[in-house]
Amino acid sequence: MNVLKVRWWTIGIFVLPCLLLYIMMVFVPIVVSGYNSLMLWDGIGPNKTFIGLENYRNILFNDPYFWPAVKRTLMYAVFSMLEIPVTLLFAILINRYVRRGNTLVSIYFMPVILSVVIIGQLWKTIYNPLDMGGMINGILNSIGMEEHMTAWLSSPKFAMYSLYIVSLWQYFGYHLLIQYTGVQNIPTDIYEAAKIDGADGFKADRYITLPLIVPVFKISIVLAFIGSLQAFDLIMVMTGGGPAHATDVISTLMYNSTFQEYKYGYGSALAMTLVIICLVFTVLINSVFKRVENKVS
Amino acid sequence: MEKQIRKSEKNESANRRPLKKTALILTAGVLAVGLAACGSSNSNGGNESANNSSATNTGGTSGGDSGKKVTITFQNIYPDATSPANKMMKELVAQYEKENPNIKIELDSLNTDQQKLKLKTQAASKEVPDITIVNPAAQMKPFVDAGLLAPLNDMLDQNGLKDTFQKGLLDYYSFNNNVYALPDGNNIEVVYYNKDLFAQAGITDVPKTFDEMLEDVKALKAKGITPIAIGEKDTWTGSFLFMNILLRTNGGPGFLQDVLDGKKDFNDPAFTEATDAFQELVQAGAFPEGATSIDANAGGNIFKTGKAAMFIIGSWETGNIDASSVAGKVGAFSFPTVNGKGDVNQFMLAPGSGFAVSANSKHLQETKDFLNFFMTNYPKKQFELKNAVGSGQIIEGDFKAAGYSDLAINILDMFKQVTGGDLAFDNTMKPAVAQAHLSSIQNLFVQKVESKQAAKEHQDAFAANK
Repeated sequence: MNVLKVRWWTIGIFVLPCLLLYIMMVFVPIVVSGYNSLMLWDGIGPNKTFIGLENYRNILFNDPYFWPAVKRTLMYAVFSMLEIPVTLLFAILINRYVRRGNTLVSIYFMPVILSVVIIGQLWKTIYNPLDMGGMINGILNSIGMEEHMTAWLSSPKFAMYSLYIVSLWQYFGYHLLIQYTGVQNIPTDIYEAAKIDGADGFKADRYITLPLIVPVFKISIVLAFIGSLQAFDLIMVMTGGGPAHATDVISTLMYNSTFQEYKYGYGSALAMTLVIICLVFTVLINSVFKRVENKVS
Repeated sequence: MEKQIRKSEKNESANRRPLKKTALILTAGVLAVGLAACGSSNSNGGNESANNSSATNTGGTSGGDSGKKVTITFQNIYPDATSPANKMMKELVAQYEKENPNIKIELDSLNTDQQKLKLKTQAASKEVPDITIVNPAAQMKPFVDAGLLAPLNDMLDQNGLKDTFQKGLLDYYSFNNNVYALPDGNNIEVVYYNKDLFAQAGITDVPKTFDEMLEDVKALKAKGITPIAIGEKDTWTGSFLFMNILLRTNGGPGFLQDVLDGKKDFNDPAFTEATDAFQELVQAGAFPEGATSIDANAGGNIFKTGKAAMFIIGSWETGNIDASSVAGKVGAFSFPTVNGKGDVNQFMLAPGSGFAVSANSKHLQETKDFLNFFMTNYPKKQFELKNAVGSGQIIEGDFKAAGYSDLAINILDMFKQVTGGDLAFDNTMKPAVAQAHLSSIQNLFVQKVESKQAAKEHQDAFAANK
């Protein structure tokens, strides 16, 4: 391990600030949440009662809103992950056919730099009922499909899907940028060599681009997955988890029980559940990709 | 060849060594500064307090005269610089700082929701600001139980402050004979209506019964006018209206108290009847489409921009309506009787948010002295700024002569008729039960529910959080 040619304590000192921050900002809160999750506590007073795993038991078996929220959260993740292959396709197409691809990618990237609150308000006006100037309903009305007009965000049936769409729209550019950079980083001489061997166009994509893009693809998938598990701000801005819990995901449920219902312990237990789900799926995704990587290369 | 490269690398690294050291020191320095910055922002004003502990003892009615600087943090919910409340607060604070040059009042102005959240976070780490805002009765009880708030009895006796409050109002902020907060107002729920829109729909008189109200809703709807403005994303709005119906179907106040006392439960006919009546309003199309994704302010604006005919809300909106484009066209009436039950002189009561003092304040005496000054001058200032409708304190002054609107006079007359009423659901029940109630009512906006089912949801939540 002499590759770096510096003493171990030098490395230690330079890593320390980051490590300290990480421990303080990530590790300690998780441990404290874990401790609180075993308590019956309103989050205000000194009266904490130790109740063991009672909170977890209630979450898993007695909370009528937990499992639907898990389902919505996982759906969120699935939709976000399904978006990645599409962005990869776009990245390949842009790389091949568009001369100044960077400009296009930058334009796609724009929604990402907008604040979620702005995006929420923007899409709210798009989804609004017709008499409040809703754009979608306006279009439906003008092409004679009045019977399909709905108050999208207030319908228990459509509200969640309306939110998925906004999220997909916002993060399209983000993942496109990652994929595009990945595609660009593949050395052109490989393609040239393949061209001589007779592999061109989509054949080259299948045997060169796909295997070489897998690591980048994986990053996108993991980011999309974790990002959607933590989806919170957009939902708070647009529906607040309503109507009547129809758009509650794990994180909004956690917020509501901690801060609205004054059940700090219960909220912490929900947070821990979310952490566990995150960990399990991250490991799962990693192992799946290891297999995929072995297969395509 | 390789050896040579190695050698040159080694040389280079030797040359770089002093640079490395500098970098190290720099990093350490930056880190230290960062930590220090964190520290100071956390204990906001705490540093100063350490220097001033002596000042705490010297405080008289006019605040500490020791000449040493004292900083009082005043968390409040008046962030909007254009609102009369914000003006009132800033003027009073400036006046006090002028009279007591050693006292500095630091304002922490937040939106209601932000403030609630911030206070909860601060409470969890016992760093409640010197003055903060709490809500009456059940909502402030956890803070009192946790010993975070200071009793204000002694300070209420100074300068006759106690007698300025309306009789019985302080009860909502009292626990075990101690007053823990002073209300910024006292309001009732009324139905504001737009006279022009009523005339357009051919409605000649305000509804006296719920059935008449339903007829009016249908007449308005037929004219393409939104009958009742509401923003139900912030669930409390629908609950406030629902509770007014319940106040009628129960034949008087006290339903929730009876439930708490075990004399009734949510399966009571009064409750299911109220649920059914509420659903009739929804079915008749009384509320704007997509109400559950409109937030409370935006909901109010539907009325204030003249697009909706009625607005059922606390009288605190009077000033805002007078400042809006429908000013002069608006009247108000009391919520009608439902199925012949109830008394129109009973109202949903909304004792205002209360100013509370942290029990752990480093300058308890100065803080109390300031709050005493603030509350003593509060009604006068509010009156001047035409924001005194719904004041919790007795105001001596001729509203009409002072230029208050007809609507304001109308509301003030209604105050005189009040014979009793109920508090909002979340001021009466535990937070967890209140949340179940709020989402159950929100659900009524988007789908038809058997009233028995809604009652069961309430009863289950109540039983689970006893």
